[in-house]
Amino acid sequence: MAAQPSAGLPLEGVRVLAQGIVWAGPFGSMILADLGAEVIEIESIQHLNPTRTFYRHISERQREGATGAGLANRDTSEGFWNRYTFFNYAKRAHKSVTLDLHSERGHELFLELVRHSDAFVENNAAGVVGSLGIDWPTLSEVNPQLIMIRFPGFGLSGPYRDFKGFGAAMEALAGHTLIRGYRDSDPSQTPPTYHADPNAGAHMAFALQTALYQRERTGKGRLVELSQSEAVMHHVSHAWMDHELNGRLQEHWGNRHPSMAPYGIFPTAEEPGLEHELLPYVAIAVPGDGAWAALCEALGEPELASDERYADVVSRYRNQDALEPRIEEWTRRHTARELMLLLQGVGVPAAMLNRQTLMHGDPQLRARGFFEPITHPEAGTHLYPGPLARFSEQPLSPVRGPAPTLGQHNHELLRGLLGLSEEEYQRLKADGVIGTVYAEDAT
Amino acid sequence: MSTESSAAPPAEPGPLEGLRILDLSQGVTGPYATKLFADYGAEVTKIEHPGRGDVSRRFGPFPGDEPHRERSGMFLALNTGKRSVTLNLKTASGRAILLRLAERADLAVESFRPGTLERLGIGDPALREANPALSLVRISNFGQDGPYRDFAADDMLAYAMGGVLSITLMEGREPVKLGIYAPLFLAGGVVAAYAFGALTGGRRSGRGERANISLMEVLAGSMDRGGTNLLSAQYTGALGHGIHSAATSSLPSGPYPCKDGYVHINASIRWWDRLCRLLGRPDLIDDPEYVDHLDDPALATKVDALFLPWVLSKTKREAMLEAQAHGLGATAIYTMEDLRSDPHVRGRGYFQSLEHPAAGRLKYFGPPFTLHGTPVQLRPAPLLGEHTVEALGGLGHSREQIVQLRQRNIV
Repeated sequence: MAAQPSAGLPLEGVRVLAQGIVWAGPFGSMILADLGAEVIEIESIQHLNPTRTFYRHISERQREGATGAGLANRDTSEGFWNRYTFFNYAKRAHKSVTLDLHSERGHELFLELVRHSDAFVENNAAGVVGSLGIDWPTLSEVNPQLIMIRFPGFGLSGPYRDFKGFGAAMEALAGHTLIRGYRDSDPSQTPPTYHADPNAGAHMAFALQTALYQRERTGKGRLVELSQSEAVMHHVSHAWMDHELNGRLQEHWGNRHPSMAPYGIFPTAEEPGLEHELLPYVAIAVPGDGAWAALCEALGEPELASDERYADVVSRYRNQDALEPRIEEWTRRHTARELMLLLQGVGVPAAMLNRQTLMHGDPQLRARGFFEPITHPEAGTHLYPGPLARFSEQPLSPVRGPAPTLGQHNHELLRGLLGLSEEEYQRLKADGVIGTVYAEDAT
Repeated sequence: MSTESSAAPPAEPGPLEGLRILDLSQGVTGPYATKLFADYGAEVTKIEHPGRGDVSRRFGPFPGDEPHRERSGMFLALNTGKRSVTLNLKTASGRAILLRLAERADLAVESFRPGTLERLGIGDPALREANPALSLVRISNFGQDGPYRDFAADDMLAYAMGGVLSITLMEGREPVKLGIYAPLFLAGGVVAAYAFGALTGGRRSGRGERANISLMEVLAGSMDRGGTNLLSAQYTGALGHGIHSAATSSLPSGPYPCKDGYVHINASIRWWDRLCRLLGRPDLIDDPEYVDHLDDPALATKVDALFLPWVLSKTKREAMLEAQAHGLGATAIYTMEDLRSDPHVRGRGYFQSLEHPAAGRLKYFGPPFTLHGTPVQLRPAPLLGEHTVEALGGLGHSREQIVQLRQRNIV
């Protein structure tokens, strides 16, 4: 490609239509928008966008609970779907258009948008695009250069194609749930985690760039398929290879490590003045004899380092049941931050378990400017986590704007990009094909 | 008859054919990111220290638990499709060869401790001079700057600093980490996506991008209770996803025991009717004792009393299949053996069987996405230095010169 001195952000000029929902889709389209793509969220006022809300109205109990915690100021009045964290975090610098895809005109207009776009990415349940009449054969005929990325939980073929499930369900199938969890509890006490979601999103963002690169050379669009559960299987590579190489089924190790000891998460004292629902902890890893000697010194028990029960990693590994309480007795007397700074200073890897309500004050994140203020027209001004990479030539920060309100860009895209007349635009509004407020019976 | 993908040659070149990546990273995060580039057809040249190689050659697991640098499961999984070139970057000749390789690369990825490239004399100015369009991705635990820049960390520690570990716990217990290395695989995927952007930026502008990536930030901002919780802390001072989600839902949510193991289920309260039908209790669908309290987490005990007898009478696969047939999200909690024999994953041809000269024939996880019409056939990980001669030959070194470099422990 010819050199262009001020080429803008890497994906500037790439227009992506998105039905990227819940966590996986939004995380992927966030990366695309960070990199400069014009991402247009395809929504409708008849169907709730699950990234904005699962419910048309929020009950008083929900307002007080976890759902309300994600709504700016716990304000559940109309338009609350424009003030929700899931959407407002990841859909920053996106555009939003509402189209009733079940209506003939809405469907036609979507195809018009497809004609003007480079990609359509969606992680709906596998059967949805077929039922909406916007599947690959239809769209690729409208726009042969289109890249369509479909990334449902279990892929587009096979007996589980239509299975439902969030990230934790993918991890269960991938074998991750069983190899983590408390050493002394059965898996029904293993807390769910959801990193299959961001994992799928990140891979989607990589996949789109792969397909764009290929299109540069072939001129042709492509259907790309990603199964979220397959993509997250790589995370259990250690256990998988152990089974391949040794036929071994790994147990859950709790916070221990297969080849380091001591290794784990230890309770600490609370920082003065902080009262917090989550208790404070420090994570400590001792990778070798040097770090072990340094830890013993810090514990005030330098003689432990030469104690034959702990002298080398094999002995420490064997005797960690006895070792852990001694370390804990010490960590309980200091704050997690003190322990981290002390141990890192003497060459022992240690980290406080950062608590999310306190992280805006984290010295490292502050020094790097990780959080940036974004003003959202309905949610107000807050500090948002910024792009997850810092570019020096074409900086990705500050991000190019807040998340859109529902249907905010209807006029710009339908009148501007597609060239509809004002009269027709008004008719679409009157007919409920487009809008900016969810229909009372939206589901 | 095996149902895994056959070793048929790809119908056309890999989608990333033509891209060249110079991979100075080691461990998990960087190598997973460059593995994606390699598996989809880019030429990825991995620079390894002579005699020692990538640290993941020591991670294992090893066959028979006998350490062997060519038989580390983690290395084998993370480095498919790459070339291995040994170079001693502490020598001037080694650095000169690196800069020659940089001349023809689109992207370099490194994961040394911050400041190492500069100390070796192959930092920004040297790379810029060698190839102005080359983009560079720098991965470290906490970034290239800031007060924690030089702190040591691993997967558990970076995850701890990222914040999500503090809420990965059951009520009244300490937090529990993810499976070994799992957070670094997630970070690798995120790094790959931004790295591709950096590469494209360099190709478009002719001036290589510099990407400075902190694992702590990647994990803090991930959308698995990360970035959204940091924002809810701003919006309301509380966490939108606190500890164990069972505490927030009245319907079965999380792992449950069953006849032969465990099953994970997430039943949204909107699916009460589906749950009733699954349990053979359609009479409860409109029962005000339940429907009027679905948004109350305290109802969970009562619902569990209905659900547990059912789930305990099912195998994990029965529970999964029957719940899914009723439109409820449920999956069996698999062992590696279960996964390996799962009819869906096998039937889709996800696993690929590869022959490696030192480790033998093993099954590997396949490419995480597929461009229809461009199948990806994985290639095994390289032996240490397997491509040194080929790469140096490509730079015009004679066989004699290469022998000399080897004698001086440069390659």
